[in-house]
Amino acid sequence: MLNRHRSLLAGAFSIVLVASWQFGVATISTALGGDEDDKQSDPASKQPPAKKAAGRSEANHRGPSCFVVDNFFVDEVWGKVGERTCLKCHNVKGDASDSEFLLRDVARDRQTRQEAIRHNRAAFRQMATAQEDGKSRLLQKIAGGLDHGGKEVLKADSTGYKILTRFVRRIEGKPDIGPPIADYAAPPFFDGIEMMSPGRLLRRLTLSLAARLPTRKERAAVEKDGLKAIDKILDSVMTEDAFYERLQEAFNDILLTYGYDGGGESALSYEHFKPRLWYQDRDPRKGLSPEKKKELPYSHPKMIAYTKLIRDYREGMRREPLELITYIVRNDRPFTEIVTADYTMLSPYTSRGYGMFEELRDQFKDPDDPYEYIPTKIKRLQSRNGRKVQESPTGFYPHAGLLTSFQYLKRYPTTETNRNRLRVRMYFKHFLGVDLMTLAPRVNDAAAITAQYEIPTMQAADCVVCHKVMDPIAGLFQDFYVVDGKGIYGPRKDGWYKDMFTAGLQEEELPTDERWRSLQWLGERTAKDPRFAVAMVKHVWYILAGRRPLLPPEDIDDPLFSAKRRAYRTQRGEIEQIATRFAAAKFNLKIVFKELVKSRFYRARGLAATVKDPRRQAELGDVGVVRMLTPEQLERKLTALFGQKWNRLTDKEAKLKILYGGIDSKEVTERMTDPSGAMGAIQRIMSNAIACKNVALDFSRKPSERRLFPNIELTVVPGESSEAETQIRRAIVHLHEHLLGRDDADDDPEVERTYRLFAGIVSDAKATKGLDRRGSYSCDRVDKKRLDDPHYTLRAWRGVVTYLLRQHDFLYE
Amino acid sequence: MRRRDFLTLCGAAGLGFAAPVGPSSIARAAAAKSELPSYDGPFYVVFNAAGGWDTTYLMDPKGVKDTNRLYQHGEIVTQGAHRLAPNAAHIKAGLSNEDFFKTYGDDLLVLNGLDYSVNNHSPCSRYMATGKLDSLAYPTFAALVAACNGAEVPLAFLTFGNYSATGNLVPMARVPYLSSLNRLANADGVNGSARSPYHDDFVIDRIERALAEQMQARVSQARLPRVERSQSMLYAAQLNSKALQRVTAYVPKNSPKERLSRQADIVLASFKAGVCVSANLNIGQFDSHANNDRDQMKLIPEFLAGVDYLVKKSEELKIREQLVIIIQSEMARTPKYNNNNGKDHWSIGSIMFMGRGIRGNRVIGATDEKHFLVPIHPKSLSIDKEKGIRIRPEHIHLALRNLAGIDQHEFSKKFPLKVSEQEQLKSLWG
Repeated sequence: MLNRHRSLLAGAFSIVLVASWQFGVATISTALGGDEDDKQSDPASKQPPAKKAAGRSEANHRGPSCFVVDNFFVDEVWGKVGERTCLKCHNVKGDASDSEFLLRDVARDRQTRQEAIRHNRAAFRQMATAQEDGKSRLLQKIAGGLDHGGKEVLKADSTGYKILTRFVRRIEGKPDIGPPIADYAAPPFFDGIEMMSPGRLLRRLTLSLAARLPTRKERAAVEKDGLKAIDKILDSVMTEDAFYERLQEAFNDILLTYGYDGGGESALSYEHFKPRLWYQDRDPRKGLSPEKKKELPYSHPKMIAYTKLIRDYREGMRREPLELITYIVRNDRPFTEIVTADYTMLSPYTSRGYGMFEELRDQFKDPDDPYEYIPTKIKRLQSRNGRKVQESPTGFYPHAGLLTSFQYLKRYPTTETNRNRLRVRMYFKHFLGVDLMTLAPRVNDAAAITAQYEIPTMQAADCVVCHKVMDPIAGLFQDFYVVDGKGIYGPRKDGWYKDMFTAGLQEEELPTDERWRSLQWLGERTAKDPRFAVAMVKHVWYILAGRRPLLPPEDIDDPLFSAKRRAYRTQRGEIEQIATRFAAAKFNLKIVFKELVKSRFYRARGLAATVKDPRRQAELGDVGVVRMLTPEQLERKLTALFGQKWNRLTDKEAKLKILYGGIDSKEVTERMTDPSGAMGAIQRIMSNAIACKNVALDFSRKPSERRLFPNIELTVVPGESSEAETQIRRAIVHLHEHLLGRDDADDDPEVERTYRLFAGIVSDAKATKGLDRRGSYSCDRVDKKRLDDPHYTLRAWRGVVTYLLRQHDFLYE
Repeated sequence: MRRRDFLTLCGAAGLGFAAPVGPSSIARAAAAKSELPSYDGPFYVVFNAAGGWDTTYLMDPKGVKDTNRLYQHGEIVTQGAHRLAPNAAHIKAGLSNEDFFKTYGDDLLVLNGLDYSVNNHSPCSRYMATGKLDSLAYPTFAALVAACNGAEVPLAFLTFGNYSATGNLVPMARVPYLSSLNRLANADGVNGSARSPYHDDFVIDRIERALAEQMQARVSQARLPRVERSQSMLYAAQLNSKALQRVTAYVPKNSPKERLSRQADIVLASFKAGVCVSANLNIGQFDSHANNDRDQMKLIPEFLAGVDYLVKKSEELKIREQLVIIIQSEMARTPKYNNNNGKDHWSIGSIMFMGRGIRGNRVIGATDEKHFLVPIHPKSLSIDKEKGIRIRPEHIHLALRNLAGIDQHEFSKKFPLKVSEQEQLKSLWG
């Protein structure tokens, strides 16, 4: 068993695309399908089972029809058993590569999928018909008989075993014994799905990625050239600072580097960075007597400036790994540099902490700008007393992108028992897209195993299966072993652990002469791993969609398993294709954005007709972005549409960020994606407050300067004339377009509904005796002057804007 | 639970894709708009000791030198059916085991010898929270029971940490600050003031009606599943949020300092106001790889004091009888100290329950002197080394679903636990 595991693991790393199932994540090996086209038309498979078995038993097939691949094999045998179970070992590089029962990964090559599925069916058929002691070899082997190398894979009462039993009976021409075979004729995956117009796509992109509405020029380009214009516009968007702010925020969601313990400067260790508290020299109170210090309260301008300096420095330190990402993307550098860059990013402030400001001063455009970053190599580390110097033939710290980032390593510290394994887990998750802990293999009794073996992680097969992979990589981090978050760089005092597999990757040991640059060695190999490209596409998918791509379905008893599998495979196929183009484009991450925003998954907007079949519903369950805006995104959208910040959702004092599903990168690390009642309340607060703040203000401006009401005045009252009604409707169309991104006609039902709201409020107000004909004291004052509202249209428009801001079209993208 | 037609709408909307809002419910909603959803119990609270508690210093004492340095075997305390590790002499704050069991022993059901199967934080947390080790899709028990029993209330599932997956059945809510509840309660007032509304009442009324009409119109439209689900959830969230106005009456003026007590105040105010079904309460730092005894002697009393606080306050609010309390951790500690005077991860542990429908003063299961699991018979619940089974989280979760009366709910069926009939702990609750 132990040898099997070792072999599996070795295979897993050499056959990268058959790589993650050994961690229980049956993903990559089953991953490459695009639209699921495995099935061929097989009218017989749609017949009732008994009729089919009697009229066209597979055992009687001759000639070409033998090669017809039916739904039963594709959906049941292959989808639920072969792909998930047998393929793990029975492939050309797998543990059972010397077996005659060799299968092909259907998902790996779209061009040869049909051929592969036919090959696999033939292999299954051969195993099913071969008999030992009057019983199918397939059934005996899978249950652990006939000296099966993989021991018992399926229990006799399991669903998988029953599927194979049924397959054997069908092969043998016996009457089928299972439930009716699905008669679902799946349409092409995107059949019946409406895509958003290029104009609407443009609005989503500029709001999402650049925090602004499209320019007139951009709108014109899209009107003229449609989707073809998007690439060029995105090229421009991806030069804007707002895009990089969004990019940093999004990658922090993934990496959580902002959330390391302590102040920002604590990423720099006491041992190696004497000047890390350089700001203390600028303390206006330094050296003053207690009495004099009292003369400088925190409200004093000097203290305010000093506090800001510290805050900027700390923020700058935290931002450093994300600035690396910005630099790589902005300059079209290969995104593999996030694990290979032989530099880091320093600002005038952070370089002071590193003790490098003086030598870099001339390279900064503005040496007082705390957020101007330049790529820099830092010198090899030296202990505080100068006695210990980091080994480095180059004289520089052996940078390897994020892998050697002090912030990244501090965010994921280690302990004497963890031994860098958390870092390995993060390495897999962040750079290869594999979550080692997602689906840990079940063991019978971990406590007993722990007690039974002296070194379970090296001896117990159940432990070795993961530790053989993890521990060598943990060894690559061995020089970054100041435990408990008290520092970063420094080897273990007693030498690296002997009760762990030696440092390396896969079957390759770290050469002794590469030890000083072990993480560079790891980064170089990571950049060549095909999983890297896939993982990065998945990251961008997350950035754009607000959720991670689908995981493969797990429960083969689920009646919707096949539909969910198709959804997964179609999505995965899209990701794989984009990963291929990403790699071909020298890992320019902008390519991934450009490809994904054009994908049908991103552009899907609606359905041509209602879907009632639960299988089709399951297939379409993850189609379309439909993402509730994060607090940060909502703030940016409000700013873009109204021209001023609300700031309540992101301001620390307001304390609404976490309530509205935001994260703190430390303890709250997953964004909430569905609105609770608390969030519903915040949406009401927001819509009330924004309407309150902006409606009267907008009307107080010249029409040409208004964002909300450029074509109407408060004197236009509903019911007074047809012209007035037309004017109000056009004002509503404008509001729908500006706030919701809708392109409504004057007589659209949504316009009609908004009109009725507006007119209804005016009518109610008129019918209310004694209602003040001035605007609201709280909302309708401009320059401290309360506006009149003689026709009650001001409060009606405020009601309309409140109503629109509560809508799905506004709060979601 | 008080339900009106209106609540049916909210619930349907809140359940999203599983049961989208229908036209008839919308119509009823408009007719009964003055009703707001409310949930009267039972209330479910999961206390989680994140990081892995040392059960030999709590409800499964050993008192042998290799395992416990702070007490001897002969010092083990008995309280009714319970055996507990004495710690009153070693703690500086919080509630001692002695006091905790003295107060709650008659209510407590302890299960010793729970098999977490693996011993890593992440999968163990998931397993303990959901009853399913190898899936990211399953909801936690707290989320599931909230979805089944009261998804329409605005804070149906409150969480303060721990694994909190919802299975897409119900939104989770995080309310980290007690003061936030007051602010949320008056969303239509300027700066949260009910005396200073943003709009006249008739304006708000018009807005709500327009939103309801819009929702009704959308029901008949062909929509992508995600659009359908999210529109329903958004509508429900905003509509149901008005029920938060009931919370203010129960928000304490002062917030306690203790971590769990702060969480408990938010939860209890939400329970009492009928806006919450379940909650995850959580404190961390139990992962005592170094200096186990020092850390556990600090954290276990803090943890128990949190439970005590919640129960006592619930008595004051007259909802104690409605509480179901689960007291757990994602793993236990090794029966031996390591070289740092700490203890590492151990996959055999314990869990405690108390509250509505649970007969207390009982201890089920056991671990042996080396802290290995002793199997129990699932029917008799007695020790049975020959025919007994290893109790795992799925057994516990199925029993919890039974206790909550949701085992046959369609949501529970979507996430089957696959415990055979023979292995079900049908008499667990007594």
